[in-house]
Amino acid sequence: MKTFFESLRKSKAFKNFILFLSVMGPGIITANVDNDAGGIATYSMAGAHFGYALLWSLVPITLALIIVQEMCARMAVATGKGLADLIRENYGVKVTFYLMAVIFVVNLFNVMAEFAGVAASLEIFHINKWISVPLSAVFVWILVLKGTYKSVEKVFLFACLFYVAYVISGVMAHPDWKTVFQETIHPRFQWNLGYTVMLVGLVGTTIAPWMQFYLQASVVEKGIAVEDYKHLRLDVIGGCVIAPLVAFFIVVACAATLFKAGVSVETAKDAALALRPLAGDYAAWLFSFGLFIASIFAASILPLSTAYCICEGMGWDAGVDKRFEEAPQFFWLYAVMIILGAGVVLIPRFPLLKIMYLSQVGNGVLLPFILMFMLSLINKKELMGEFTNSRGLNVITYITVVTIILLTLMMVGFSIFSF
Amino acid sequence: MKFFLYFSEILGRDVLDDKNQVVGKLCDMVLRLNNEVFPKAESIIVKKGLLRKEFANILLEDFQEVDGELKLKITRDQIKFQRQPFVSDFSIGQHVLDQQVVDIHDKKVVRVNDVHLLKVDNQLYLAHVDVGLRGIVRRLEWTKWVDVLVRYVSPKSPYLTQEELVSWKNTHVLNIGRTKNVVRLGVGREKLARIPPTALAEIMVDLDIFEKFSLFKVLNADMQRKVFTDLPVQEQEAIICQMEDQEAAILLEHIPADEATDLLLTLPKDKTRTWMRLMQSETSKNLQKLLGFSKDSAGGLMTTEYLCLGKDALVKDALQKIKDNVDYPGSIFYIYVVDDQHHLLGTTSFRRFINAPPQMPLAETCYPQQVFVRTDDGMEEVALLLERYKFSAIPVLNEEEVLQGVITSDDVLEELISLTWTKYKDQL
Repeated sequence: MKTFFESLRKSKAFKNFILFLSVMGPGIITANVDNDAGGIATYSMAGAHFGYALLWSLVPITLALIIVQEMCARMAVATGKGLADLIRENYGVKVTFYLMAVIFVVNLFNVMAEFAGVAASLEIFHINKWISVPLSAVFVWILVLKGTYKSVEKVFLFACLFYVAYVISGVMAHPDWKTVFQETIHPRFQWNLGYTVMLVGLVGTTIAPWMQFYLQASVVEKGIAVEDYKHLRLDVIGGCVIAPLVAFFIVVACAATLFKAGVSVETAKDAALALRPLAGDYAAWLFSFGLFIASIFAASILPLSTAYCICEGMGWDAGVDKRFEEAPQFFWLYAVMIILGAGVVLIPRFPLLKIMYLSQVGNGVLLPFILMFMLSLINKKELMGEFTNSRGLNVITYITVVTIILLTLMMVGFSIFSF
Repeated sequence: MKFFLYFSEILGRDVLDDKNQVVGKLCDMVLRLNNEVFPKAESIIVKKGLLRKEFANILLEDFQEVDGELKLKITRDQIKFQRQPFVSDFSIGQHVLDQQVVDIHDKKVVRVNDVHLLKVDNQLYLAHVDVGLRGIVRRLEWTKWVDVLVRYVSPKSPYLTQEELVSWKNTHVLNIGRTKNVVRLGVGREKLARIPPTALAEIMVDLDIFEKFSLFKVLNADMQRKVFTDLPVQEQEAIICQMEDQEAAILLEHIPADEATDLLLTLPKDKTRTWMRLMQSETSKNLQKLLGFSKDSAGGLMTTEYLCLGKDALVKDALQKIKDNVDYPGSIFYIYVVDDQHHLLGTTSFRRFINAPPQMPLAETCYPQQVFVRTDDGMEEVALLLERYKFSAIPVLNEEEVLQGVITSDDVLEELISLTWTKYKDQL
């Protein structure tokens, strides 16, 4: 027996596996935060309002997600710098400032979406948002600024197993698998406003701009060496497959239940019905739990990562271990994110689900610009050395950029046209 | 006539030829890199075209004036444009502006928002870097509006008057090592020598790996060892893995043996072996011995650097030994008296023999009582004895009473601090 373990320990595959485990993290974590409140809302609406008609888009989106995230991880390993740092050093303060301003606004909407997620999920339990939102804002504030976040992260990650509920529910709803399969591989486009907006939203929620900053920062922070890059790539690609897979089942579950019943998703309660095949009368509870965890998880990360990224770009001191006088800009940004993000949600009759969805459309509009910066950076030989993009990757990314811009233009065109 | 101007005031401005016609826009300024206090501007890089960009390198002598207007003495035919951007050893745009530099005075890493140029006799010198908020606002070309607004809201705000300039004398550029033509390493060394090694080590933690290494390379060997010893193990690992094997071996030889062992324990086996082979046999033998002990036992904590003398030594020999070893990396406060087989006979300290008659046998000055630990004793035991006898170092013996090494109180402290930290972090 001993010789078995010894030979196991010595085997190359085992060594690689151990290395993989130690490097694993950034990609998987990012992927799980990706399915936040905005994500759940967008995927639910996609399934409920369009049935299986949008499933095909998840295939190219997954491909683009893998390529984009891999580029971020590669830049982190090759340069040891965050994305905002690189943009500042290569394009100057002017470009950085305006870009950061836009990122701030878009991310603020994302934070709003997370708090809207908290409000919507707890409303199912008849907890007033005037209680739930301020309490969770305080919770997030303490969790992060007291430095306790890291230990809670594992709890969050574990809670993300909730997404399995959608997989089971999706299967138990007995969707017409033949149609599902056909719709997945057979792209069909609908020429109307609702469809294009939803498409931009799907892209924006799956390949969220803030994720790129977050992933690159976490890889840099982990200090992964160039030699371990191939293990990191595995982790990133793994995460990039898991996230859209969950999205796929959310859409299927919603399509097989809500779309079939002709329910239009207006509140969280409606969206929860998708879990009925699995949880029966407890569907609402299960959904509420999942949405709450996803919202709080992302709400802990998003304001902090935004504040870090802006300070990095502008050259201001940042860090939760600093005192206020040492890093005033950092703490101001963080505070404004949380207070404004949570505050707006408190407005009476605030359309919670709609904001969760629209914030993702904002992500989609911003994404091509971030991608253009990434493309330009990753092709700089003096920066990346042997890690520059291959021709094929460049072509695919350019196609992604052009497609999203075209979609955005169509969206604008349709909305002008429909007035 | 102004003496100072900001680089942002001329960056992107039109460059005019002798007939007052636009040639292109200023996009960068090349500086001469030498050991002068303020680097002198050599040439200006001009860019033209939007989609088909072209660049020209124009010497500063060819300018009539560089201030309110950027006017050339020469005609436009004399300017040669090329498609490739110019890569220079040292330019404001590539190496200073928007980059991170070390502020030697405040001992921290800062980002350059603007560059302050000194103008003497139509020559430009890099005088200061601007790291403040005003610099950012100036680059955004919002100074006028922001000033009016701030004056309206709070007329006494420090923002209005406070320029955060760092003199070039107190600045060290970081990202030069990244480009291929590495600048002469001597430049900046004297500046950096003014920062204490501990502060330099703290600065290094904030930098990315390439900047870390480029900063490290600039230091002289002695400074490198001091800074290296002050770095946390992960940082040491990152740096040493970037070094050539030969360099790494030399560095390892010259840092305290216990630090070297801690580092070697975290590194892959094949690297450790390569470096040990390159070391002088004596050092590597010592390291080999230390590597054999478990990390938190007395054997793992100890260092093999200590002073010892034979049993017949006199007080004057001891004094001479200390004088000869003032630069010794280990503790020179204690001298251990040993026999031919290196068995520990007694411990004496500087305090006990400094005033003793020179001809007195050293053994007579030893402490009346033998205090020591065994190689497999735990850290708690070591800490307890150090505290009880108020020693700053304690000898380590093996089962045969042979002196193996010593543990100094700072080694124990270091270990305890990192232990407390891990516990504290786990609680969070």
